[in-house]
Amino acid sequence: MIVPPDLVLVLIKVLLATAAIVLLWRVLVRPVPYWGHERPGDLPTDLQEAERRADSLLKDILNEEEFQQLTRQGYLEVRSPSLPQRVYRVPRHQGVVKVYEKDRLIMYLCVQPVKFLPSGDVVAMHKLSIEGNEDQYLKLANRWYSSPNALGAGMGVWGGRRRDPPA
Amino acid sequence: MAQLRIMSSRGDKTVTWDAEKIDLGDPEAVAAVREAERIFNEERARGATAFKVEPGKPAERLDNFDKTVEQTVIVPRIAGG
Repeated sequence: MIVPPDLVLVLIKVLLATAAIVLLWRVLVRPVPYWGHERPGDLPTDLQEAERRADSLLKDILNEEEFQQLTRQGYLEVRSPSLPQRVYRVPRHQGVVKVYEKDRLIMYLCVQPVKFLPSGDVVAMHKLSIEGNEDQYLKLANRWYSSPNALGAGMGVWGGRRRDPPA
Repeated sequence: MAQLRIMSSRGDKTVTWDAEKIDLGDPEAVAAVREAERIFNEERARGATAFKVEPGKPAERLDNFDKTVEQTVIVPRIAGG
């Protein structure tokens, strides 16, 4: 089959125009570092300074032991105010919160601020919300249970939105 | 010195006031505490939650502004991810 030279030229022009548009898009529109739903206008121009400030707030909120745990182990353990055997493990950087009861992983939680916050503030957000507003925190969280018998019979391995085990 | 710290995308914004000077009617301290109260109410109306933070104690939720609290931290609205 012989392809007319005009068609080849048109195809090359279309490809070049597409590449130029993609390149311009990547240059002009800032990539979103954390969440897909974040509007670029919400992001700080100086992310490093925002992180520095957030870390300073976090240091004020955490005690020395908690800060060391976060630095060395990459997570912060927050004790449940309502269930003595329950511990929430908050990651230093983005990720799900793991919930342990008697040292056994029972559940994953996904909770995030509705607008962008530096990572230090996100850790502080989890700690304050768990300690001071645990009911609401759990109500809002999306939960994934870790195993069929994690919280008793009938739970099932499950991932989804705010579904509690059957009573 | 008491302070209100509001989390934001740029790191926290802080409003500081001297509770003792408020009792003495110091205009600067009174203006600062009024500003803090205004921000507190405005942020709460937007769905944010305020917490009283004290060293060595678990955080406590604050439903009303309390100028005597040493450190109040405002966390923006959260949602399931």
